[in-house]
Amino acid sequence: MNHSAIRNGLGYTTLALMIIALFMVFDYVPPEAEQGIAQLIFYFHVPLAWVAFASFGLVAIAGIFYLWLGDQLWDDLGYAAAETGMVFCTLMIVAGSIWAKPIWGTWWTWDSRLTTTFILWLMYGGYLMLRASADDTPQVARFAAVVGLVAALDVPIVIASVRLWRTIHPAVLVTRQGGHGLEDPRMVATLLVCLAAFTAFWAWLLMLRFTQLRARSRMGALAVRIAFARAAAADLK
Amino acid sequence: MAGDSARCWADRTLSGFAAVLRKDLRLELRSGESTLALLALSMLVLVVLVFALDAAHVRSVEVAAGALWVAMVFAGMLGANRALLAERDNGAIRGLLLSPLDPGTLYAAKLAAALIFMLIAEVGAVILMVIFFNLDFDASTARLAPILVLGAIGFSALATLLSAITGRTRSGDMLLPILAVPIFVPALIAGVKASAAALGGAPLASMGDWLRIMIAFDVLFVVAGYLLFEQVVGEN
Repeated sequence: MNHSAIRNGLGYTTLALMIIALFMVFDYVPPEAEQGIAQLIFYFHVPLAWVAFASFGLVAIAGIFYLWLGDQLWDDLGYAAAETGMVFCTLMIVAGSIWAKPIWGTWWTWDSRLTTTFILWLMYGGYLMLRASADDTPQVARFAAVVGLVAALDVPIVIASVRLWRTIHPAVLVTRQGGHGLEDPRMVATLLVCLAAFTAFWAWLLMLRFTQLRARSRMGALAVRIAFARAAAADLK
Repeated sequence: MAGDSARCWADRTLSGFAAVLRKDLRLELRSGESTLALLALSMLVLVVLVFALDAAHVRSVEVAAGALWVAMVFAGMLGANRALLAERDNGAIRGLLLSPLDPGTLYAAKLAAALIFMLIAEVGAVILMVIFFNLDFDASTARLAPILVLGAIGFSALATLLSAITGRTRSGDMLLPILAVPIFVPALIAGVKASAAALGGAPLASMGDWLRIMIAFDVLFVVAGYLLFEQVVGEN
């Protein structure tokens, strides 16, 4: 099976899962008693958060492998993951904000998880600005790998400091008393389908961008070889 | 034999470290550029904040501590940009890289120089803060010392590593704060909280959590900088 077949398969899987997820969220699952319809955002917010954090983890892993092996492939993967992660992180913050307005009465609050996510968003915004402000050379790939790695290493300290600072975010998946806050089994089923749908969507976008970046890297390498060949031919004359 | 070669390596590393640090300190003694610029900028940031927050009328240790850290971050950014700029200007960095010095040692020397300049500026900034914000020189001011030293170590470690990167990009100086400030956030939160507590008269023992976060940050970034500097300082 070749790459484009996997890619197309992922695309159609995403489409099917998204349709099922929308049906489950708007028709099948019972809304939570106190929050009403606003709570439905939860089924998008949590999957968005999961893929956003997964891509930022991937940026760090790709950075380590790039510094270790020096293969352009890892740099392309890190770049693709940072871009997709940024998109999903932005959507997660927007979705959370829309939920927070009716429930907390405010668009934004400096709660610990919100602050941590926002700092993560700023870090990877910086990462993408670094990539945008320099040409694609092995040097910039190393810079980006170092920044991605350092940012990821910083995350545990950010979490510790911000948690000490303040927190009001609801703990739905693992409550402080243990157990979870999804009392109806239909809620769990909906969340799982939404997680699958967004993970497929993420993998599809990541793969699209990754293949594109691979093609660009290969074209860059080809251009260098052509330039060398031309210079050699000119020497022969 | 193994002990001998280890001692030899330690001697060489130490003498290389001392040579680079001595050079940077001598440059600074003769020109005074970095420390003066850091001091001037810290003072201006404090003045701006006095007007912005109307601090002349309210006597608040929280505001004073916050202002001190804003001055430190912005002045420190400027100092970090300068640290490697002088080496880039006339390709002096090539000489350093060709020398038998290992990149980690070069990083340690650059970090030490940046830290010294920053600490000098901080002493000035603390004096100005006490005067501008109508505080008193007493034991609480002295208790700021360990907090500010921890903050300065973490900041210099991070900024020295990142300025090696941003100095080579098109946006250059603008990119350094964009990369450094979000990563510095945990040390900033801990530093501001601990400083406000110290200025309010709390003993150091009561802010153990904040100090631990700063120590973790310092250790992480000194080690990461030492190991990763080689990746970012090279020519290509």
